[in-house]
Amino acid sequence: MSGDSQETFGDFKDSFSYGSRSDLSFKFLKGLSHQEASEFLSVLLEEVGSLFDDGSTDALVDLVYEWQVRAYRPTTAAKRPYVYEDRPFHELTKSLGEMSVGLVTSSGHYMSDDRPAANAGLTQGEAFARIGEFLRRAPELSEIPVDAPIEDVEVLHPGYDIRSVVKDRGVALPIDLLDEARATGRIRRLVSPVYSFVGACSQGRLRNELDEWVARWKAAGIDALFLVPV
Amino acid sequence: MSVGHIARKAEAEGISTVAVVVRSFRHVAEEMGYPRAVITRHPMGRPLGPPGDPDTQRQVIDAALDLLVSAPEGGSIVELEKPYRPMKSP
Repeated sequence: MSGDSQETFGDFKDSFSYGSRSDLSFKFLKGLSHQEASEFLSVLLEEVGSLFDDGSTDALVDLVYEWQVRAYRPTTAAKRPYVYEDRPFHELTKSLGEMSVGLVTSSGHYMSDDRPAANAGLTQGEAFARIGEFLRRAPELSEIPVDAPIEDVEVLHPGYDIRSVVKDRGVALPIDLLDEARATGRIRRLVSPVYSFVGACSQGRLRNELDEWVARWKAAGIDALFLVPV
Repeated sequence: MSVGHIARKAEAEGISTVAVVVRSFRHVAEEMGYPRAVITRHPMGRPLGPPGDPDTQRQVIDAALDLLVSAPEGGSIVELEKPYRPMKSP
């Protein structure tokens, strides 16, 4: 883009998705038609204007949420690569209070002294500038001990807005509340370590890793997995 | 999609699973046949709830653990109705 005068509305809305205005909470704008994006921005500004009088952000939060849902709804023309008819299901063989529960999240958390090789030296901004590289890579499964100090657990992910999870890991890495469930006897054990990886990765290479990952979880005595896709 | 592959593989290998999925990706949970999924009406990147709101996060976890036990078959999906309400700054 050599100057503002040459930027079209399409350029503008698309720039929020890994472009000059990258904002991972609003990258969905790229998936909207010009008319839809215009409608969203008009209502967004109207709601911002309402804040001057009523001060409530509820309508603003709801608006962005509703448009995220709308933007990610698959179109009939979209190619859907992983649509399955079967529904794998392993029935529980123990009560919840007897179960060892594992935690796996695609949040991109890792221990500060065991940073995934793909993240080495990258800031969050640099990571999402390299989203294409992440999407071609095999994921690396990070291990996070349940009792690891919070300050030793970091996060980097090129696919979502990490600001919330930086403020509170419980948003996507619910170690503390699952450990609370252990303490109250709701579950028998939260298996340590818990696991995190960057979900924005090669899906084929991810599937190649799963034999080893599942073997690791079975060896750890995990009866059930609490999964958090981000 | 990444976690869908994990859920399918784990169940096939004898590990039960439950997932917490934001509403924007409900169609992924349906298409991939997530065995058990709790859907939250939260913005992307905040599946369990707002930062600094352990009460909401605990409700989501409780709902997921309930579903882990109560789901009668694969593809069991429960959508929570509570809207996303960030904690107010002091």
